[in-house]
Amino acid sequence: MKTSIKFLLLASFVFVASSCNKDDDNATSTPTADYQPELKNISQLVITATYLNLNNEAGDLVSAVTNLKNNPTTVNLEAARQAWRETRLPWEQSEAFLFGPVEQQGIDPSIDSWPVNVTDLQNVLAGTGNLTKTYIDGLDGTLKGFHTIEFLLWGTNSNKLIGDFTNREFEYIIGCTESLQGATLQLYNAWQANGQNFEQILYDANSSNPYYPSQKASLQEVVNGMIAICNEVANGKLFEPFSQQDITLEESRFSVNSKQDFADNIRSVENLYLGTFNSGGNGKGISTIIASKNANLDAQVKAKITSSINAIMAIQGTFTSAITSDPQGVQNAIDEVTELQTLLQQNVLTTVINL
Amino acid sequence: MKNFIYIILASAFLSSCTKDDNEAESNTSSIDINSGGATTTLNSTSLAFEDPSANLNAIESDLHVRGNLAFEATFITAPATNNPGLGPLFNNTGCAACHVKNGRASYPTSSSDLGGLLIRVSMNGTDPHGGPLAYPGYGGQLQNRAVFGKAPEADVTLTEALQIKQFLDGTSYELREPIINLSNHYTPLTSGPMLISPRIAPPIIGLGLLEAISEQTLLAMADEADTNSDGISGKLNYVWDVQANSMKPGKFGWKAGQPNLTQQAAAAYVNDMGITNPLFTHENSVGQPQDDLTGDDPEINAQTLEEASFYTKSVAVPARRNTTNSVVMAGENIFRAAKCNACHRETITTSTLSGVPSVSNQTIHPYTDLLLHDMGPGLADNRPEFSATGTEWRTAPLWGIGLTRVVNGHSNFLHDGRARNLMEAIMWHGGEATNSVNYVKALSSTQRESLIKFLESL
Repeated sequence: MKTSIKFLLLASFVFVASSCNKDDDNATSTPTADYQPELKNISQLVITATYLNLNNEAGDLVSAVTNLKNNPTTVNLEAARQAWRETRLPWEQSEAFLFGPVEQQGIDPSIDSWPVNVTDLQNVLAGTGNLTKTYIDGLDGTLKGFHTIEFLLWGTNSNKLIGDFTNREFEYIIGCTESLQGATLQLYNAWQANGQNFEQILYDANSSNPYYPSQKASLQEVVNGMIAICNEVANGKLFEPFSQQDITLEESRFSVNSKQDFADNIRSVENLYLGTFNSGGNGKGISTIIASKNANLDAQVKAKITSSINAIMAIQGTFTSAITSDPQGVQNAIDEVTELQTLLQQNVLTTVINL
Repeated sequence: MKNFIYIILASAFLSSCTKDDNEAESNTSSIDINSGGATTTLNSTSLAFEDPSANLNAIESDLHVRGNLAFEATFITAPATNNPGLGPLFNNTGCAACHVKNGRASYPTSSSDLGGLLIRVSMNGTDPHGGPLAYPGYGGQLQNRAVFGKAPEADVTLTEALQIKQFLDGTSYELREPIINLSNHYTPLTSGPMLISPRIAPPIIGLGLLEAISEQTLLAMADEADTNSDGISGKLNYVWDVQANSMKPGKFGWKAGQPNLTQQAAAAYVNDMGITNPLFTHENSVGQPQDDLTGDDPEINAQTLEEASFYTKSVAVPARRNTTNSVVMAGENIFRAAKCNACHRETITTSTLSGVPSVSNQTIHPYTDLLLHDMGPGLADNRPEFSATGTEWRTAPLWGIGLTRVVNGHSNFLHDGRARNLMEAIMWHGGEATNSVNYVKALSSTQRESLIKFLESL
């Protein structure tokens, strides 16, 4: 960690030295070409589409856990767990764009708080209060969202059996998934055109836009989001449990979904870069802008995204076991994602600033 | 996952050039975009308040990274493996829960979720050091949330009264006054009237630079007796420093009630989150029926407190934008002509801060004097805090204020977030700012717009 930071700071001095003579307004000045096609595609067909998918999957998760309560079988438990994984995927693929309403409206803590407040959760379950969506909506983020649902579906050691569930746990899980879907719906509505329309705020950048006074400002927001998640995956999600040899710091440990989470974070970077999500998106993304300026850099970024995802998935066994049994694999993944982050910082962001 | 590290070194690449050290303290801020001296970042995205200072050395960088982890941590009820100790009474579960994206909390959207707004309380009188006198059963701050099985101290209901006013050109504007009602108290109020003061979480940018301003520099700006008869009488607060065991200049908080960032962080841990620490080893409910009495204090150690407070000393200040725009420049002239800069000081040179070379000896543009000023009855909380009277507030720094919208998605300002935009914030000023407000009241709409554009460039 220290090494990479020193390296980054050193690199920053190089950039500073080269930027000293710039017009102070350069970073937000109007670019010469029109990048609204890219911004519109990213905003509508990548970001808003991801949130729509997230909300749909969250709805399926409510159905799956309701079915589990009504018919508690091992098969239905696995179906509920699969529905959790399928909801988790678009969320993780949204983490390269943690800007706008998700933070500004305080939605993120309702969806993805960690750690789970197990002490209070057990007290709530031992009590007699109605475990409705409304009740759970009013609880702190550490008593709801993905990780609380995950904890209840899998248990601390990922080995919970269908016979281990109490009726109140089923009720809590249902209320919790309904509350989660309330949050994902709020998020989708905040972006979509018929709601608060943040998607337009991002793509319709102009001097009277109070958020993004230029297309360059919008593009920097997108690229900074990509850089931020690379940093979090490399220096947080991978590095912290690994460096401290502490499995309790691992994200999505209960569900054994960590490697998938991390890879989906990098796929989120990929989606913004390539301008695609699932089968949607017209392909206009950061890549088309970079390719028009520096085809070699574009190829480098694409290759590094792929090698980062591959390195994460190549970590042997579960991430929980790998932090002790496959240090080389974990370190390789950290290195790959760090290199992607560096490429985005040093080259892609700089290219965007100089458009 | 908010607990994980979130250092955006991207910004380091955008960091600004070191400014000319020989710049005199004068009206040169329009051409110096580096509001935070060499700490300044050129990032103007929603991550603009999350950059480390651009000039951290390797030791500072390492501390900043670990401090960020502490700042992002979410606390939960003990016993727990990770981050135990929340409450039993609290306002929020982590530093970043109020200081979202290191920025400014919005005015609450509903009374059921106060977010980054908390309420200080006290009774008439002062404590042995001249500070607010704790209200029996409640202490110095109302915790409106509690862990399972404990009761919030009271429910808070917020309503608003609207005042309709006019500029001299006949254009009307509205001021929104929050009215706070407490109900459902967990125990009756038996010690007379309760004094209350709502406080919104402010941005944490550039705080290390402010701590590095010397007492001598602050006193040189003070004019408590208004000897120059300009109607403005800045006063330095003196507050109790727990570690020094003596009175020291107050620099932090809306009424400058904290002497340094370590104590500021320690007080926030114990009062806002119920996290005991080496400076405050008793729960905020000590001596009250709801104290947890678990004997796990302090719930964070000295290292965590030091790292968290270091983080607040090492966050960059964003650079100004659009400084050469003619409207912005016209607005800057109005800002000066209205004498806003008599308190919102444009340029200050820092002294040294032990262990933080990045903030030492910097020429900065914080737009504050850190002094107390009478803001009139409209803004008064009528709750004194050490030397600060019930009508006095510390001049709020304005650096970074133009990025509030992109970072936090709102434009709520002042100590309780009552102002819905920058012009309302200006028009709420009274007391020592009366002449300045009257100046603004007489501006044309074009001039008013220029003034706002200038503020948005900060």
